[in-house]
Parts: sequence; C-alpha cells; structure tokens
Amino acid sequence: MQVRNTIARWGSVAQFLHWLIVALIITQVILALRAEELHGMAKLAMLARHKSVGITILMLAVVRLVWRLINPTPPLPLTLKPYERFLANVTHAALYLLIFALPITGWIMSSARGFPVSWFNQFQLPDLVTKNRQLYETMLDTHEALAWTLGAVALLHLVAALKHHFVLKDTVLRRMLPFSKIP
Amino acid sequence: MIHDFRLTRPLAALAILLAAGAANAAVQNYTLDAAKSTLEFGFVQAGAQNKGRFPKVAVNFGFADDSLAASHLEVTVDIAALDTGDKERDDTLREPDLFDVAKFPQARFAATQITKTATGTYEASGSLVLRGVTRALRVPFTLKSATEQGKPVLYMTGKTLIRRLDFGVGQGDWKSTEWVGNEVTITFNLRLIAAA
Repeated sequence: MQVRNTIARWGSVAQFLHWLIVALIITQVILALRAEELHGMAKLAMLARHKSVGITILMLAVVRLVWRLINPTPPLPLTLKPYERFLANVTHAALYLLIFALPITGWIMSSARGFPVSWFNQFQLPDLVTKNRQLYETMLDTHEALAWTLGAVALLHLVAALKHHFVLKDTVLRRMLPFSKIP
Repeated sequence: MIHDFRLTRPLAALAILLAAGAANAAVQNYTLDAAKSTLEFGFVQAGAQNKGRFPKVAVNFGFADDSLAASHLEVTVDIAALDTGDKERDDTLREPDLFDVAKFPQARFAATQITKTATGTYEASGSLVLRGVTRALRVPFTLKSATEQGKPVLYMTGKTLIRRLDFGVGQGDWKSTEWVGNEVTITFNLRLIAAA
C-alpha cells in the first residue's frame, strides 16, 4: 500500500493515524468513565492515564493535520447532493476541530485545577493558565459537552461511511480501510 | 579608701549585672511573623510537580551567632491546616492512610544542635516527629538579619528533603510511589521578629 495519499485512496500513514486516533478516543471514554467511579489513588492513576492519552491524541492530531495538508485528499464522490457534500465537509471539519479542542480543554482544565499534566510520567507539560477554580468548572463542563458532541459527530461519520459502503456501494469506506482492494 | 570602696562597689555590681545580662542577652528569642512566612512542601503527583503549604506553624527560635550551643529551634506544624489549593486533595491527605490528622494533628521538628558552615550558612540537626514517627533530620538554612521599624528581624530561609514513607505517610494503596513520589521537599521562608 502507498504511504502517501492518492486521489483514489488514503495512504498508509493517513489510515494509521485515523484508526489509531479512533482507538485512543475509545480508550479515553473508558478511562474517563472508570475514573468517575473511583477515588483516591485509583482515580488519580486513571486520570493521569486519561491525560497522557489525551496529550498523545493532541500530538497525533497535529501530525495528522500537517500530513493532510501536504498530501492529496481523495475527493468526495461526484454523485453527492450539495447538502450531503456540505454535511460531509462540516462533519470532517468538526472532527478535526474536536481532536484538538478536547485535549486542549482537558489541558486547560488540569492547569486551572492546579494539577499539572504529565505525559506518561516522562515529562511535565507547562500550565496553560494559572489556577482558577471558576475556569476549571467551566472547562470541565465544556470538555464534557465537547465529548458528547464528538460522540454525536463520530456516529454521524460512521453512519455515513456505512451508507457509502452498503447503500451507495462506492469506495468511500474502503479507501480508509487497510487491506481493501480499490478497483 | 572609703571613697574608692564606695565607687568600686557599684562598679562591681554593675559588672556582675552586665555579665549576667550578657549571658541572657546572648540568646535572643524570636517570634514568627506568620503573615510574612511560608512553609511549603513539594511533591510529584502523576509525573508532575505539585506543591502545598502549611499555613499554621509555630516557631520557637532562640539565637545568638556567637553562642550557637545555647541557640535553639523548635517548629510545630499544624498538619490538619495543610493547603494544596484543592479541597478534595486536602481532604484525602488528612485521611488515615495519609497524614491521619485525627490521630496525629501536629508535626514537630526540634533541633538538638545548630552549627555554622564555612560559607556562613547554618544547619539545624535534630529530629522530626511526623505521623507519630521520629526520624533524624538536618535542616540547612540561611539567616539574613535586618532592622525593621526599629526591631531586629531575621529572615530564615532553607530547604530540606524527607521521604514520606519513612514516616508512614502513605498506607495501603498510597505506599506505592508510582503516582505520588516518595520524596517531599520542604521549603521555608520565615520572618522572625525579636521578642521584647
């Protein structure tokens, strides 16, 4: 498979980044939900992992955006209606925005709470804001609202991908799947 | 001779008084200016440096640079008053598995010896009682003297390191140092005012 994108399909780097981020987002949801049930040391550990994974997603998001900008983008099928094209563009833009916004709001939240972020105990990240309880509360609500938004947009993205594959029978899903043949 | 005697007697008395006074005045007692003093602790939590402070501290410091053997230092810390800037964390720290403030509300450092180093700094060696455990501790510090509003003032600054598990601060899950480091740095910046 090609490393770079072509106009017919996503290359291996774009696919790897896409699916890795999907896996990490699912991990994030699990870690966040588990942390809510815990307290003390166990909660601390779970949240520390959640922060580390979140920073990983942020770093991957940067790489992914740069990679997208310096590669061809496989175009949407010409058969799409204008509103479908619009919806696809908005969905993709929202997904990109959210993989930046979620880690950043989480990072601000940690700084505002006064619990600095570390990346897997390897290095400590600078605080984005000074300690501020009010801001922490606002960021906590924002982070949660963004998480639900991501869930909704990702679901729309998934449904659309399945529609392309099973209903429209085009290559839109297959061009993001490794090991799939594109005629 | 009588004349001389009359003169020497008060002089002798004065000399005795001065000598006694010198012995007393040699060690000056100081009281803590709590509003302008800090006692902080730094620790690693989940890979990141965090800090807290002990706002309620009592210091008993008697000091004379030329009489270090007679100088003394005792510091009592109200552990329950600890403040890391996060109520949830503070409450956790007060629990039985950590500081257990219900049983051990105070920590106390008492110097048994104060020495001066070649570079003009000082070191208080003594023992720290924390969570009911007594351990030897050396506390290096510097002193800067000043006269403020007509009163002699000392600024005592220093830093030392303790291991929380040496004192049992961390039972059960908290014995692990994976998420909360064992090493805790203690930094202090005290303003001490000469007692009348």
